[in-house]
Amino acid sequence: MIPYKHYGLLAIVSLMWIVGCSSPYVENNMIEEIAPVVFWSIDKGTEGKFKISTLVPPLIKEKKRFLSKEVDLLKQGGKEFNLIYYRELKQGQLRMLLINEELAKEGGIEKLINTILVDPDISMRVYLLIVRGDFDEYIKNQLTKQENQDYFLYRMLKHYEEHNQGEMSIVNIHQFMKMLYSPLKDPIVPVFHADKNNFNYVGTAFFRNDKEVMVTQDVSDEIFQLLDNDHFLKVLAIPKLSISLGRVRSNIRMKLSSDYSSLSLHVGLKGRIEEYQGEKNIQSEEPLEHLIHEIEVYLEEQTSELLKSMQRLKVDPLEVGTHSLKPFSKELTEEQWLKYWGNMKINVDFDIKIQPLINVERLS
Amino acid sequence: MKTLSLFNQTFTLGGIHFLLLVNRTQMHYFILIMPVYLVHSYMVWGIVALGLLSQLNLMMLCKWFTSSYAKRGYQGIVQLFGKRTVQVFAIFGFLIILLKISIITLGYVEMLHNFIYPSMNKKWLIFFILSISLFVASHGMEKTLRFVVIAFFCGAWILIMFIPFFFPPIANYRDLYPLIPTEWSGQSWQGLLFIWSAFSGPVYLVFMVPWLSSNQKISKYLVIGNMLTIIEYSLLFIATVLFYGSNFLNKINFPVVYMGRYIQTSGLERIDYILISFHMFNYVFDISILLLCFYGAGRVFMKKMNARTTRIGLLSSWFVILISIIIMDQWLWQTVPGQKMLLNIQIWLGAIIYLLVPTILFTVVKRKESM
Repeated sequence: MIPYKHYGLLAIVSLMWIVGCSSPYVENNMIEEIAPVVFWSIDKGTEGKFKISTLVPPLIKEKKRFLSKEVDLLKQGGKEFNLIYYRELKQGQLRMLLINEELAKEGGIEKLINTILVDPDISMRVYLLIVRGDFDEYIKNQLTKQENQDYFLYRMLKHYEEHNQGEMSIVNIHQFMKMLYSPLKDPIVPVFHADKNNFNYVGTAFFRNDKEVMVTQDVSDEIFQLLDNDHFLKVLAIPKLSISLGRVRSNIRMKLSSDYSSLSLHVGLKGRIEEYQGEKNIQSEEPLEHLIHEIEVYLEEQTSELLKSMQRLKVDPLEVGTHSLKPFSKELTEEQWLKYWGNMKINVDFDIKIQPLINVERLS
Repeated sequence: MKTLSLFNQTFTLGGIHFLLLVNRTQMHYFILIMPVYLVHSYMVWGIVALGLLSQLNLMMLCKWFTSSYAKRGYQGIVQLFGKRTVQVFAIFGFLIILLKISIITLGYVEMLHNFIYPSMNKKWLIFFILSISLFVASHGMEKTLRFVVIAFFCGAWILIMFIPFFFPPIANYRDLYPLIPTEWSGQSWQGLLFIWSAFSGPVYLVFMVPWLSSNQKISKYLVIGNMLTIIEYSLLFIATVLFYGSNFLNKINFPVVYMGRYIQTSGLERIDYILISFHMFNYVFDISILLLCFYGAGRVFMKKMNARTTRIGLLSSWFVILISIIIMDQWLWQTVPGQKMLLNIQIWLGAIIYLLVPTILFTVVKRKESM
């Protein structure tokens, strides 16, 4: 006779037994049998197919293998990987989605991202990267040189994402989708260049209607970081004036005229001179002032150029359009805004306040 | 074996319980899908406006709570309406509660199914959650009402998790513009109806009056509880608009849960598992309260008010609910139009009940008192 108070325990045990037998959990995960993946790389394959590839297994002391398949659908690729590998690939740890630039230029990456986004197993913080060149070759080559290259790549992106380090534009799939759907914003994605030995940051790609339309590089990418992305740059190097500014913080004020015919963009920069290779004697006040003025003019020119190319392509990654939103009036449609944006006059005004690291002689 | 006495009353619960009850009964399935119905940022004014209207409604209910009829429970209601009418009401109530439990459970189960157990058979989930509710309900009305404290403390903190969404980088305050509606469509009306329906939870408190104290100061707690709900609704809604932007928002089926997924700490990654699990306390509370109401309504129309409550009675009402949920799941919930229809029925029913019940009770009590 079982004591009365043990009925509950008995019930639980028998329930567990029943559950165990009929198993409502279809997916069983033994830790030895799964291989989490850190990235998918998607490239154009033959005949309109995708070529997707990944590296398995990450973070386990075991020789890594590079898997690559040509498929019609993204998820199909994941499935086919399972069938050629002895572990089951799990996407719960997916951290990066690398998309080949050719594919991005063609458009339609929204669908790829959506596939990842709607999967509850996958976090929404998957980083999105555009790759120029052959990433597969790079990662295959790295297999022999350095272990865990996939994981280190992720750490790099994570480092630059956190606290807006101000070197790269880092975007995750949620941010991309939010921008894509907002009528007055256009998404950005960082572009990396890959070859056999290197994988390095190139700049920021601007997307319009789900298509990559332009990439900013070097100085214009640095300006873009200041204008929109991080408002901070660790180093702003201007080779033309032989000067490097350090720890540059920007303060942006945008003002649209009421009929949307002109935009005045005021950029306040604060930073310090960290390097100077030029001829001027910046230890005295006058040449320094002059140099600062030169920097201002140079940056103003560069910025206007960047904005003009954005206008030409009718893309608005700086979210200038959102400045047209007002609390009490109707918002512009995307078409209306782009019409205004394309013809807008832009006044760029830089105001630079920099500290030289050495004492400036004062004119007495 | 002890006999089951579900509806015994040994003491009354005070004002704080009232506050929590009002607040928790308003925070159920609807809150999780609300942003999809509202979409535009200016609908936050809808939340505030209807919240204030709901305030008025609660004041009317207060008249009932403090009346002498309420204290007498079932007898009081019979005195007001007569036995026949009460029976008719009970039949209606029976069906309405059945529908409400079913939709709440289906909604929550769908969420569990989507996010935590995608490969599991849904019927198991339905069975489990109903079993837990049965367990809570079998402790009787009194303890179930006290369970609200647990439900509150397990649910209210979730809001804190969403505070980071108010701060950049994803948030852009210009996403909230325009602040006033520039165009108004059928969808906006439906949004308002939806909010009103979401506020309708406290209607079921009408039947729990005997366990709640009915002193004159009740109204204060009702108002605070409702205020809390308004704050919770609008915070969650604004957070979702900031997170998704209006255009992306209506493409997402469970915006609040997806936002939970976005939260990440270095130690724990799937915060949404925790949030969804804690949210279960709220559902269990809601379902068990409704289960008891359901059983009560059944007793009224079967004219068994004077008989003792039995295990068989509670279990059979539980089975009725289980079967109804499984049938609904099988036939309606799994198809998109069916699901839409069920939700629409629930929205309309909730809204109508919340409009009618307080007004009817208020006028009837007023008339009887003046007579």
